[in-house]
Amino acid sequence: MLERSELIQSLEPILEVEGIHKSYRVHRVLRNINLTLPPGVVGLLGPNGSGKSTLIKAILGLVSVDSGRGRILQFSWPEQSRALRDQIGYLPEDDCYLQGLQGIESIQMMARLSGLHRTEALRRSHEVADLCDLDQERYRNVETYSIGMRQKLKFAQALVHDPQWLILDEPTTGLDPSQREQFLSRIDTLAKEKGKSILLSTHILHDVQRVCDHVVILAKGEIRLVDTLARLQQPTQAGLQVGLISDAERFMAALAQVGVQSRRTGETEIQVLGDGPEILKRIWSTSCETGISIHRIDRARNSLEQAFLDAIRDSGRLNTGDPTAIGNNVSLPEYK
Amino acid sequence: MPILDVGYRNWEGQRTPRWTRAAIVASTGIHLVWQGTWLKRVLLFMVVPAAVAAFIVGTFEQTIERPQARSVLQGTFRSPAVKQAAKAREIDLAKVLDEPETLRHFSWSYVLFGLLRYPQSIGMIVLIGLVAPRLISYDLRSRGYLLYLSRPLTPLEYVLGKAGVVYFLLFMMSAVPALLVYIVGLFLSTDPWAISHTWDLPLRILAAALVLILPTTAVALALSSLTQESRFAGFAWFAIWVLGSIAFRILWAAEQARNGGFGPRGRRMRMEELESFTSWMLLSPYDTLGNVQQQIFGLIPKEASAWSPWVLLAAVSIIGYTIAYRRVAGMLKA
Repeated sequence: MLERSELIQSLEPILEVEGIHKSYRVHRVLRNINLTLPPGVVGLLGPNGSGKSTLIKAILGLVSVDSGRGRILQFSWPEQSRALRDQIGYLPEDDCYLQGLQGIESIQMMARLSGLHRTEALRRSHEVADLCDLDQERYRNVETYSIGMRQKLKFAQALVHDPQWLILDEPTTGLDPSQREQFLSRIDTLAKEKGKSILLSTHILHDVQRVCDHVVILAKGEIRLVDTLARLQQPTQAGLQVGLISDAERFMAALAQVGVQSRRTGETEIQVLGDGPEILKRIWSTSCETGISIHRIDRARNSLEQAFLDAIRDSGRLNTGDPTAIGNNVSLPEYK
Repeated sequence: MPILDVGYRNWEGQRTPRWTRAAIVASTGIHLVWQGTWLKRVLLFMVVPAAVAAFIVGTFEQTIERPQARSVLQGTFRSPAVKQAAKAREIDLAKVLDEPETLRHFSWSYVLFGLLRYPQSIGMIVLIGLVAPRLISYDLRSRGYLLYLSRPLTPLEYVLGKAGVVYFLLFMMSAVPALLVYIVGLFLSTDPWAISHTWDLPLRILAAALVLILPTTAVALALSSLTQESRFAGFAWFAIWVLGSIAFRILWAAEQARNGGFGPRGRRMRMEELESFTSWMLLSPYDTLGNVQQQIFGLIPKEASAWSPWVLLAAVSIIGYTIAYRRVAGMLKA
């Protein structure tokens, strides 16, 4: 059976752009962006100043690009970027609101700007306000909202006109852990049950791991990595992730003596090469001999964090737009 | 507690045409400014001059109907301003008392011009000073422009939508009262020829209102777009009108004094002289607007009409809208 990310990849891409360059005077913000995005949830990762927001604004046609062309949804880009905005729901990173309006009025106005008639806009506004947990606060003026409330409001505004594609720029900023979980769960539901495509721009790797099918990493205005999350987390060699109570160094030395290669991946975490029954037996016997307790053993996965750090490093630059090459290029510390 | 918890539902419906979206920006802006109590008070107060103007027009119509009331009309002829305006229309005030209906067009024009020139223009300065500074500056401060422009709306449409708020208010306080005065005048007149004598006045009212609306909106929006603090824009707005007017009057008086226009004890500036065009007038937006409106109502002799106030207002309009547009479009690059 095909995995969700593989299934999605076989569908028509929602975005195909090539040769995007953008400079602000002498400062080059986007350099030769060639990108193809499948439907589903795509995480756009990058350090601050990497060009994520500019890329999003360029996609929306809010900033003009120096060069580049392509196709987004069913529209030619950038020629039809205005029509495209009718089909995109954008949640800006900035703390933006319309001063003086109530929450519900603010959502209704955004719906009307996207072409919904007044009554229909009001009905949809209440529907999405309910979906986003904007209870009676919807009748309060937006300038009195907390940051978390404003994030919910912006999400409702992005969703109210039922866009084909949602672009969410740092959507979980300012949310407490439970709100964040609810928010991610909402994204997951929209993607999996309602078939929405979502571009999630964030620097919170956990959010990406939680909901994304694909990952795009941008650094210094260049695409450094495009791949499925599943493939990124796949280890290049079979291995086991072993969590210890203490003394990882002594445990690794003891493993080496019985012919098992391992490497340290955390304070009390090690990764063991190989995952057969024989390896497991040696791990348990080492635990017995050294007296170091094991609290978990999992199949080893590469961390997204490591892939991210490798990708944004200049030396770790990957072949742009070549998804097949990416998983293998993620470098990890050597086994010993 | 949810109000209509039906989960997320897809929506399929007919969208409104894209060209209507700027009107939504305008209607939202009107909704927002309408929440201010001062706005309602000022608008209500602006009805008073219109009522006075309607009373004057009604009185004039009565003087036509009743010969014994013509002494009222005769009294107004002593005003130098009326004399100058009559001269512009080549009206012999000594003869018109026999056929006062020939004076109808002139009288109505004069009253309507007076309404637009003085109470409505001054009210406009106050009202726009209260409303317009926040139109764009609030959005710049709260970054609300991003929300607008993430929809199928161009920066130009956004600016036009914001301008629509000012257009609406100015139309309501300039053209609408003047048109009401005109309609009331028609109702109070028993002469069926009143319409044929005055058919062009509604057009002149609209033209005069347009001349008032377009440049003032451009200036107000430009100021609003230049700052995130609406109080600075408000201060600049009032400064332009007040300082411009003071500068014009000082320089005009100085020029008069240099040309020997004042006697040894000096004399008070007369309104009709102030209405005559001089280059210094271009310093004062209030007087420049007044001069153009006077031309529109045909209350200035053709040979004394100047084109430079028109050029100035056109230039101010173009520059004002361009500044507002460029500021909004430029914010997206930040």
